[in-house]
Amino acid sequence: MDGPHDLGGKDGYGPVDVNAPPFREDWEARQWALSKNVPLPGGSIDFWRHGIENMDPGAYVTLPYFAKWCLNEIAHRIDQGLFTMDEILTGTPETRQDPSAKPLDMKGVLARLRANNRDFRVKMDNGPAFGLGDTVRTLNHPVPGHTRLPAYARGHTGTVLAHHGGHLYADAGAAGAHRGEHLYTVEFTAYELWGTDDPDTICLDLWEPYLVQP
Amino acid sequence: MSSFDGKKLGELHRHLHAHMPSDPALRVKALESLAVEKGLVAQATIDTWVEMYADKVGPKRGAQVVARSWTDPAFRDRLLADAGQAIKEFGFEGHATEHLQAVENTPDTHNLVVCTLCSCYPFAVLGMSPIWYRSAAYRARAVKEPRAVLAEFGVTLPDETRVRVWDSTAELRYLVIPERPAGTDGWDEEQLAAIVTRDSMIGTDRNLKVA
Repeated sequence: MDGPHDLGGKDGYGPVDVNAPPFREDWEARQWALSKNVPLPGGSIDFWRHGIENMDPGAYVTLPYFAKWCLNEIAHRIDQGLFTMDEILTGTPETRQDPSAKPLDMKGVLARLRANNRDFRVKMDNGPAFGLGDTVRTLNHPVPGHTRLPAYARGHTGTVLAHHGGHLYADAGAAGAHRGEHLYTVEFTAYELWGTDDPDTICLDLWEPYLVQP
Repeated sequence: MSSFDGKKLGELHRHLHAHMPSDPALRVKALESLAVEKGLVAQATIDTWVEMYADKVGPKRGAQVVARSWTDPAFRDRLLADAGQAIKEFGFEGHATEHLQAVENTPDTHNLVVCTLCSCYPFAVLGMSPIWYRSAAYRARAVKEPRAVLAEFGVTLPDETRVRVWDSTAELRYLVIPERPAGTDGWDEEQLAAIVTRDSMIGTDRNLKVA
C-alpha cells in the first residue's frame, strides 16, 4: 500500500540526529520488552507490520517510533480477541489467564532472545526464474495490501546480485497465507533511481513476483 | 487468530489514538498493566528484559564478531558465506539474525544499511538500534543522498569510492564489516573489538580510530 511508512527517497526531511541513543525515555525500553514478551499467537510478522502501515498517516508521521508500536500491539490484541477495547480504555481486565505467566530471570530472557531466531526459508518446488547477473525490471504499479517493494524502486531496472532460495513471501504472509517465493538481492545504480552521477548503488531484497524480464 | 484485515487494523488504530490519553508513557503503562493483570506476562520479565538490553545485548557483540573476522581467516570465510550461522559460534543468534549477511568495506566500496519501509535491524547482534536509524530523516535520505547523510556523521568519501546502500526489504539483515585500521598489527581480539563502533557496523562510521 502507498502508506506513510514508505519513506525511501522522500524529500523535505532535515539532518539526521546523529547522536541519538537507542532509547531516550524509559517507556520506549519497556515497550520494546512488552512487544517481545506479551504473547501474540495466530498472527504474522507481515500482518503486524501492515497494522502500523494502516495507522492514520498524520499519526504515523508525528508519533514517536515506540508509541506507534504500543498502539499496534494493542490493536493486534483487540483484533485477535485477546483484549477488548473496553479493557484497554478502562484498565480493568474482564478475564484473566490461568495460571499467570511465570517471571523469567536473566537466564530465562537470554534464552527467550535466542529462541526468537526464526528461519524464513521455504522449500520451493519450482526453480528460480532469474540467475545471478540477470537484468530485471520491477513492477510499476501500486499494490493495495502489504508489500515490500518500496515505491522508489518501482518500474526500475537492476541486476540480480544474489539468489537466496525460497523465503516466506511477505505479501502473502500479511494476508495469512504461508507461501514461499524466490528471493533475490537486486542492485540498482544511483543513476537509474535518482539520475545522479555518483558511482553508488542501492540493493534491495525482492521476491520474484515483484520482478519481470525487461 | 488475526483477521488479516488491514482496514480493520486501521480502524482500531484510529479509535485507540482518539480515545487513549495522548502521553505515550501512559499508553505503554496501560498496555503493561493490562497484560500483567490478565496474567499474560510477569512484570519482573519486563524489568529483566530491559536490563538485558541495557547491559548484555548491544554492539559489543557485533564488535567481537568483526574482531574475529579480522584475526581468523577461516571464521571470516564462514561469516561472509553465512553470517546467521557464523554468529551462532558466539551464541549471539536471536531476534532478526537467522538471515544475517556480512558485507565488507574495502578501499573501493563503503556499505551503508537502512530499512526504508520500517526499521529492520539485527537486534540480537547489535542491540537496540539508535533512534536516528528509526527516524524518518534517515529512512528517507539514506537511499537517495547517502553521501550527504554520511557527511552528517563526519564521513567523507573520495568521489570514486562506491557507496553500496542495503535497504532491508525482506528478512535478510545486514552487518557491515569495517576495514581493520593500520597500526593494529599484533592486537588480540579483545583489543580490536574495543575500537569497533556500532555506527561502523551500520555504515555511518568508516575510519576506525586507533586509540
